Parts: sequence; C-alpha cells; structure tokens
Amino acid sequence: MINFDYIRMGSISSAVKALDKFPDAKIIAGGSNLIDLMKRNVMAPTKLIDINPLPLKYIHTTKQGVQIGALALNSQAADHELIKTKYPLLSMAINAGASAQLRNMATFGGNMMQRTRCSYFYDTTMPCNKREPNSGCSALTGINRMHGIFGTSDVCIAVNPSDMNVALVALDAKVILKSAKKERTIAFADFHKLAGDSPQLDNHLQKNEMITDIIIPENQFYNNSYYLKVRDRHSYAFALISVAAGLEMDGQNIKKVRLAMGGVAHKPWRLYDAENFLQGKTASLQNFEEAAKIAMKGAKSYGHNDFKLALAPSSIVEALLKASHLS
Amino acid sequence: MSDQKQPETQEKELICSSRRGFLKATTALTAIALSPSLITKAALQHADERLAAFFEKIPLNIEVNGKAYQMETEPRETLLDFVRERLHLTGTKKGCDHGQCGACTVHVDGIRVNSCLTLAVMQEGKKITTIEGIANGDKLHPMQEAFLKNDGFQCGYCTPGQIMSAIACINEGHANSPTEIREFMSGNICRCGAYPNIVDAIVEVKNGGMKL
Amino acid sequence: MENLLNLAAEDTDRTDGILKVTGGAKYSAEYQIPGITYGVLVPSTIAKGKINSLDTKAAENAPGVIKVLSHLNVNNSVPRYAKDQALIIDRNINKVFYNDQILFAGQPIAMVIADTYERAVYAASLIKAVYQKAPHQTNLELNIANAVAPNPNAKDYVRNQIDAYKDAEVFIEAEYDQPNHIHNPMELGSIIAHWEGDGLTVYDKTQGVFSSQRHYASLYEIDSKKVRVIAPHVGGAFGMALHSWPYQDATVIAAKITNRPVKTMLTRIQMFTMVGYRPETKQFVGIGASKEGILQGITHKAWAVTSSFDNFTEGTVRPSQFMYKCPNVNTIYRLVKMDVSNPIWMRGPGEATGMYALECAMDELAYKLNMDPIELRLKNYAVINPENELPWSSKFLDECYEIGAKKIGWSNRNPKPASMKENGMLVGYGVGSGVFNAGRSSATARATLDETGKLTIQSAASDIGPGTGIMMKKVAMDSFQTEGKEVFVELGDTNLPPAPTQGGSNTTSTVGSAVYDACTALKEKMVQVYHQFIVTDGQQHAYENFTFKNGAIILGGKSTSYTDLIKKAGLKELTVTRESKAGNERQKYAFNSFAVHFVKLHIHPFTGMVKVVQVVSAVDAGKIISEKQARSQMIGGVVGGIGMALTEEGIYDHRFGVYANNNFADYHVPVHADIPPIDILFVNKPDPYINPIGAKGLGEVSIIGLAPAIANAVFHATGKRVRDLPITLDKITVWES
Repeated sequence: MINFDYIRMGSISSAVKALDKFPDAKIIAGGSNLIDLMKRNVMAPTKLIDINPLPLKYIHTTKQGVQIGALALNSQAADHELIKTKYPLLSMAINAGASAQLRNMATFGGNMMQRTRCSYFYDTTMPCNKREPNSGCSALTGINRMHGIFGTSDVCIAVNPSDMNVALVALDAKVILKSAKKERTIAFADFHKLAGDSPQLDNHLQKNEMITDIIIPENQFYNNSYYLKVRDRHSYAFALISVAAGLEMDGQNIKKVRLAMGGVAHKPWRLYDAENFLQGKTASLQNFEEAAKIAMKGAKSYGHNDFKLALAPSSIVEALLKASHLS
Repeated sequence: MSDQKQPETQEKELICSSRRGFLKATTALTAIALSPSLITKAALQHADERLAAFFEKIPLNIEVNGKAYQMETEPRETLLDFVRERLHLTGTKKGCDHGQCGACTVHVDGIRVNSCLTLAVMQEGKKITTIEGIANGDKLHPMQEAFLKNDGFQCGYCTPGQIMSAIACINEGHANSPTEIREFMSGNICRCGAYPNIVDAIVEVKNGGMKL
Repeated sequence: MENLLNLAAEDTDRTDGILKVTGGAKYSAEYQIPGITYGVLVPSTIAKGKINSLDTKAAENAPGVIKVLSHLNVNNSVPRYAKDQALIIDRNINKVFYNDQILFAGQPIAMVIADTYERAVYAASLIKAVYQKAPHQTNLELNIANAVAPNPNAKDYVRNQIDAYKDAEVFIEAEYDQPNHIHNPMELGSIIAHWEGDGLTVYDKTQGVFSSQRHYASLYEIDSKKVRVIAPHVGGAFGMALHSWPYQDATVIAAKITNRPVKTMLTRIQMFTMVGYRPETKQFVGIGASKEGILQGITHKAWAVTSSFDNFTEGTVRPSQFMYKCPNVNTIYRLVKMDVSNPIWMRGPGEATGMYALECAMDELAYKLNMDPIELRLKNYAVINPENELPWSSKFLDECYEIGAKKIGWSNRNPKPASMKENGMLVGYGVGSGVFNAGRSSATARATLDETGKLTIQSAASDIGPGTGIMMKKVAMDSFQTEGKEVFVELGDTNLPPAPTQGGSNTTSTVGSAVYDACTALKEKMVQVYHQFIVTDGQQHAYENFTFKNGAIILGGKSTSYTDLIKKAGLKELTVTRESKAGNERQKYAFNSFAVHFVKLHIHPFTGMVKVVQVVSAVDAGKIISEKQARSQMIGGVVGGIGMALTEEGIYDHRFGVYANNNFADYHVPVHADIPPIDILFVNKPDPYINPIGAKGLGEVSIIGLAPAIANAVFHATGKRVRDLPITLDKITVWES
C-alpha cells in the first residue's frame, strides 16, 4: 500500500470543500471495502479523507419516512427498533450481508459505494475493464458463476454485491448528495448504474460529491416483507441470487408490491414489470410464478451462471410466498 | 449511538492530517495539496530517511486495554498490525487480512470490528479492547472460562477472535438461541471446526446471565 | 502387549488452554526478537515460462528496504542449492529463487526485507517482472491422456481377476470428481529465522520440529545441532506444514544474507500456491455384486494432479483393496503432471478422496440392489484384512454401524429417493464409512520428577490442535494415578527428546506410548531409589507390590511422598528418557482405525440450498485417551468433511493458470451457520496389540467417509446423484417452480 495522505475532517462543509479541491481523493468511512481494495492494489488513492467525525450517524423519522445519515452503521440500522418494526426488509437484508463485525464497520454511504466482488476485478494479474478500462473482461468467458444476468454488457458482467442496496431500491429510497456548490436528491434506483461502456464507474456520484443521507419513504410493507438470500454457505457469503419482497396486503389481495434482486446485475435490480403484474392480484403460487416469469424477461447467462436463469425465478416465487405468508 | 441529529456546532474544519508540520487548520486545504511524490522522491534518492518518516507519520492517542498510548503511525498501518507489531499484543490474530475470517476481531469502544480493515490512525481517541484485556488479573473472563470448559478451540489461532466476538454477540443481544448465535458468529471462521463447542460455550455464558 | 490404561473418566482441559484463551500462546510470527525485519514475497503472475528481466531497483531504493532477494542474487549462495546443480526441485529441495524458471502461478520470485511490514509490502509492489510466457497446462480433464505412474517401479494392484465387477449380476460404474482443496489453517504460513553466528533459531509453523531442523541444516550443510526449531503452538496445519516450503527457505536465506532476524507471514492468497493443497482427483469405480449383495469385484482408478516437478503420491485407491471382503479387486493410480504448485497430504489424505468414491459407489450399488446401504456393507464385512490376509488387531466397525444408525434414527428413513419431507424441506439420510492406518512409529519421551513433586513430561511432538499436550498429560496422570495438578508437559522444540512429525493419526499411538514407557521407567527407578534409601530391611520388593497414587509411593501400607523420596536420596530430581517403538506385532496383525458417519440434511426445494441438520459419527479408534479433546477432533473432521462435500473448491481459470477464488470470501470453508449439532460416539475399546496404551488414533477417520455420507444423503433427498464435489446448489437443481 502506498503511504497516502490522510486528512480527517470535522464538518460536512470542509469535507466537500476538500473533495472539490482534490477530486482524486477518496472518502473513507468504515473502510471495510476500500482498505481491502487498497491492500490488493486494486485502488491506490493518494489521498484519503476520513469523514468519521462528521455528524451523519443518525437514524430518525421525518415527515417523509425515515432519514438515515450516511455514516449510520449497518448494524445500527439493523438493530434499530424503528427499522425492525417499520422497515423490516432493510433489517433483514442488512443482516443477510457480511458478518456482524463488518456490519459494525460498514456505513450506509460506504455500503452504497461497495465495489463488485468479481474476482477478476480483485486480482490484478488478470484483465478487467472495471479496474483497467479497455483491458478486457475476463469474466465474460471465464469463471462467471457469480455474475450478472440482467443489464449486462460485453465489457462487464459484474454484479453489485450489496444486500442493503437491494432492500433500499425496493423501498423506493432516495439519496441526498452534496458537493461544495450544491445539494441534490436522487432516487436510490438512479444512484447505481449499469456497466454499459463505462464499467469503471459503479454509480452516478460525481467526484466532488458525497452521500449525506438516505431517505426511505413511509410504507405499509412491514407485515409482508422478506429478504431471501441464496448463497454457497448459510452465512458470510455473497449472494448467488437475492430477492427483496415487500407487499401491502388487503386480505389476499396485493395492494402494493415492491420487488428487487441482488446478485443479478451491475446495480440492485428492481423488478418493475413483475410488480405491475402483481398489483391488485391475489397472492397465489400461480400469480407469483407468472410474475417471476415476467421478471426474467431479457435475462442472459454466460455459462457458469446459466443456473441463475432457473434459480432466479424460483427464488422470486419463494420470497413472495414467504412475504405473503403462503409458505 | 444517538438517533438524534448531532449538533453541528463547535465543528472544527480539519481535525488531523498527515502533513502535520505544514498544517494549521486554516491552511488545511493547501497543505494536503503537497504531493506525496515529493516525499517519495526524497526517499527514493535516499534523502533524509528520518525526514521521510517524519512526513509519513501521524500522532496517535489511543487507549488499549485500559492503557493510554501516545504513538505515531503511518496512515497505512492497520489497527491489526499496530497492536501486533507495534504494541506486541499478538493475541489478536491475522488470519486473512481482508475481513474474511474474524481472527482479528477486537472491540473499539465496546463494538466488535475486524481490526485488519481499519486504520490505526482512524482510532484516535478510541478505546480498544483485545483478548489480552478481558481477564481480571489471573481471573479469566467468563467467556474464556467457558471456552476452556467446553473445549471451544483446538489449534487456538481463531480463539481470541471467537472470544471477542462471542462477548459482543451476547452484549448485542444476538445470543438468544443456538441458531441466532450461529448466524451472528459466522464472521469468525474456525478451520479446526470447534463450532459446536463454541456455541455451547456462548449458550452457557448467556444462560449464566453474568454482566460481560 | 497388555493394556494397562484405566483413565479417569472426568474431562480435562488442555495443557495450553489458558494460554490459548488469553492470547498468551505464541505462534511462530509472534516472538519478539530485537531488530526484527519483515520479509514479503512477490509471486509470479504467469503459470509457466521464464523471467526475462526483474526490475528491483525501485524496491531497493524504497524507504526502509534492507534487501531484495531473487534468483539474481540468491542462487549459489545456499550451499545445498549450489551443490546440486541439476534442476531438481521437489518437496524436499525447494530451491527458492534458484533460477529464472516459472513453474506455476504464484511461485515466489522475489522477497523484500524491510524494517517495517508496511514498507516491505509497498516495496514488494514496486518489483516489476517481465516474463517470457510458455503454454501452460492446469486442466486435469485435458491432460488425463498424459497421465504417468507414480514411479517406474509402481505396479497396479490386482487381486485375482481384473474388472471382475463386469461379470457380476448387478454392477455400477461411475466417475467421481474432486477439486483441489486448500488446507487453509487459520494461522498463515509464518516463520521467524534468526542466525547468531553459525547457529540458527527458527520459530516455525511445522508439524515436525525435527524434520524442519534437518531441512534447514541441510540448506547450509551444517550440523543439525546448530539449528533449533521452536513450535510449541501451531495454528492449525491439516498437513500443510508436513514439510518446509519455499517461503521458509527464503526467510532462512534472507536472515543469513542480511544477518538480521527476519519474519515472514504469507498472505491468505499466497496460502493457495506457496504451500500445498489436496490435489484434484478424478476417479472411476466399477463395483459388482450378486443379487444377494455379495461383492464380486471392485475396480478403482484414480488420476491425481501433481506439479511438473514432483511426483506427489497418496493412498487414494488403497482402501478399496481391503475395506470390503471381495474376491476380485484391481486398482490403478496415475499422476497428471501440470504447471501447478506442489500438493501435500491434507487431512484424511488420499484415503478421504478414495473413500469418497468407494462409499458413494457402495450407495449406488445398494440402490441398484434395492438393499439398505448398511446391510450391503455388513454383508461384505471383512474380518480378515483381504489385502494382506492378516487378522485385524481390533475392529469394531460393525458396532459403529449399529450405534450410529440407532442414534440418527436410520430406521425412520424411507429409502425411496425424494420421498421424505419435513417443514417443507426435502430430507436426506446418508452414510459413509472411514478407514485409516493405525500407525505407530518411534518417539522418545523424558519423565522428570523433581524435589517439589512436580512431574514434567517432555517430547518434541507438535500440537497442531488435537491436544497432544493433554494426551501426554493424561497418560502420565494415569500412570501416576494423580489428578494432574503437578504434571506438566513440554513439547514442540528440538531441544526436547525426539518425536515424529505430527500427521497420519500417529501421534497418540506413538508419543503416548513413549510417555507411558517413560513414566513406567521412572516408577521403576523410583522403586530402586526406594530400596536404596527408604527400605532398611535389605529386602527386595517386587515392582508390582508398589502403588503410585496422588504424589506418593506406597508399599504395604507405608506411604512415602515423592518429595521425601527424592530428598532422602539426596537428589534434586529423578529423570528417565525412553524411546518407544513398534515391534513385530506389525507382521502379525493389520492395524486400522474405523469410523462410520451418518448425516441427515435438509434441501430447500426452491433454492437447492443444502443444510446439514444432524451428524452422528461413530468411531473405533481403540482406547480414547482424552475424551473431551478426542470428541473435538472428531467434530473438527466432520466440519472439514462438510466443507469438502458442500463448499470447498480451488477453482482455476485455466486460460491464465491462476486461481480465481484464492481468498476466504470465495473459497468457502464452513462457517458457524453451516454446522449442526454433531454427536460423536466412541466404541472406546482398547486395541490389545498396537501399543501399551491401546489407542489407535482418529485424526483422519474423523473426515474420511463424511463427504460420501453427504453425497449419499443428497441423493436420498432428491434422487439426483451428484458425482462432482463440491455439491453446490446449482448441481442439484431440484427447484420445484
């Protein structure tokens, strides 16, 4: 690891000013992904801005729903009474990710910035377009069991590894981004991007911006939420497929539904068409299977991950059955 | 952790920087513009090594197992390497160095973290507890007793991390059933496979109801 | 030999238990040596070829760097390397940094020695190698045609007719694949080497301090006595530390060249290539029986990976030669030499691999015969070892089947595949047997009683986790009929009496016997002293008339404390050293440990996720010396077996010849959440012939047979026979939707 410059900031305004001045600097919060990548020589920022002293660790209710500071810890939210009772999907998703120790380190902002776990991205001995643009995608015809089936491109088939992100995109979260000059609020769904022809970029965050808040609008999904994570061991493993399902039920009738998947795309993947199909329908195995079929439109696999084409719809059905208490 | 938005009063713009000799809070932003390449160049040309070291290090005030340390650290030094190589507290183990095994688990202000994935410099003013800091003199911590009694280890290398994690697991309220314990202890890998005995040890301590 | 052991029933804590729970146990990288420096290795990034140029200038000039080692400056500076100019590199002669040849990806090509770890790591990243690549081979399937016999004299095993299974009324043929497994002990490969004059001290991660001592002495062609190897605590090994690896040679060389103490810790990534692994193996089993289930023939073939430079060989097909009573057996074992790092025995070694295939094949045959798999095994139960026609010294495998089946509730099993459900989950039961050599080699132990009554037992054995220390202590406790407060054990140091390398389920039988013999000899010596200084009537009392209990020697109701005995003799201490080894019993009997593993598992019908919900392992390992730790060791083998069956796989990207999952996030060893309650049942009957303590050893049989039990349970749950490990959910594809 190079001996980078380290600067610890005490205020949001000074932090964004520093970012403005040094666009190649990286923010460090929990550090659990960035330090990992720096040890592997995948990222080598010459300047680190430590924002841990910033007053962004809160979780509180607002008129809109719940507002979560970018430095709130993943474990803090997962164990938070408000989140557990009103937004259990988020709590379940967070607890499905990483380990207790890492959830004690990972912040909301940091988890959003978590980079792919594609082994070619991590291993500098093999080509990777995300790490080194135009060097080639080793995963396309390589070991791609963990890789994407939706929205992939010829230059990158890596997936976003976060569980938290899957819940947040399902819950229609919004993100507040701040730079020295302005503040903007965007939909969480618009924060991450597909690889397209710029796989080196995971999201639409500008170099001079930082994440300050995540807002989750109030919803009525708390009685019918489920986060299913399918993986190679029963804990502490990245998702092969994950499904976040939130339902608002009126008897057996689905009033409102939110569905998203992890482990399938370069961004947390919302299943809009499947949601539209289920809206107003009865919760039933048959409808869930139909929704899963709709969700799978456009899916494409790459060899080792062919199984995801069957596992994904099956997982969608299972998550919906669990969320609707049918199984 | 407070749920309320913390007041932004008394904000200091800049709290700390690795270019200390050149910094005052007001000139913070120009100061960090100093390219590290200058430093590197000086070092490469075997200019004054001590000068290079001076540039590279930051003062660190840290409390480890109740003892206050005033040290200096390179920003790139992890908390794990700091406690093992600088403080010679080798009870905290390096098993993967990438947050994938839990052998390096310590408590920072009472919270369990992987010390391999955090920088020592980020722990300014924090209280660190390692495996060496939980016994009361010769009297073992209840979790140490329980690991011993239940044979919750074999080679012993993951054990300090398991014990630190196990204490936190109970304190966090995630030890209410063997299933919950298994889930919330899964960040601590044991290659010898002592898992069932570790779970037994944690259940025993939890049922004992002792304050940890 | 008569078994005299009558161990106290109560559980006992490990001798190093308090050190291990307090962080006080020192592993090899944890000794504080003044002036310590840090070695960091640079791996090759190609799988085959040569280094055209190596630019180390930037690294050499980086802050804090003391030296950069590579083939450019090591080469002939090591006498052993220089002497043997032929390009022989095998597991005994590492020849690190010997020349410019690249034999596998991840081979160490350079080492930076710097004053801090951070500086060494950074400088290592500055080293630039330019390679001339050559085509590499890492794919077993594509190279099977080039397989070779392990050595020119190796003969295939044939008992009576070849391929007789084909003539049986009922037979199956199947291929079983097993990938590379990486030992991945939690402690990384770690070493401190420290030269003082021409004497070398090595704090080492090793399963055998004496084998390491010989190795390092041979590098510099110095007397072994000049080398001290210290390893009282080893953070797991599972075979990985059975011999010294290039990183250890590099550290010893670095310490010599820089004349400073050097500490090296491999990274987890380097643990995949700079030390060994269990080699990928492809197997074929043909097995046939009469309609009644009487075995007619077994054919077992294996093709195992090894490096291009070493014919690493293991006993993969051996169990098929004697596990079952079968008139016709033939086995073939071949090596596939490729551009990969060198394998090494991993827990259960080849027998775990071989029994995976044989025990799956037995299950397949049982289904084809429409017979209970346990019944099939019992019908072909061997009483005499069919390979060497010797009777077994002891064999309670039948009892293992019985008690294990009862405990797991085998009778509740509906044998029909995919027939059982529980809480919405598919339910599978499976069984697999394990067998391994019950060995005994030679070891020396010293027993010393001092004037305070303290009894110290010393032998240089390693304790990589099984609890060697407590085993030694328990043997001494039993010998002296004491609760053990005054008994202390020292191990893991070449300054102690020699013991063999820990491996192959050998330690308890070998070192335990040495301790037993040393204790007996000490008691005999005490009786002599008693006659000289305590008995005044001039009468000679037979040894058998003395009792030793709770710190006193007792004769005819007269009790003399050990302290008094030694004081009256005017001595500081009494000490004896005894070597102990096997005799001609090995020509008369076959010696094996046995185990049967029963598994119950759940499979999620929508996702295929497999959850092992119960394991029962019944084991015949002779007398169990320290039950608490033996149970732990068995549980550990089961956990390893669960990983072997369900999650572990070293995956190459063959295009690059590089591992694509060389870390703990992608190479999945089991975590807490994967492991159910595990019941261990000990037959606990002493073997009357193996040694004076009746113990056979169980480190290997704890894992052998576990993976097939799971594979068989997966078949039972789903009707799908998965024949390539690991059985990940994508191979099961039972999804109902």
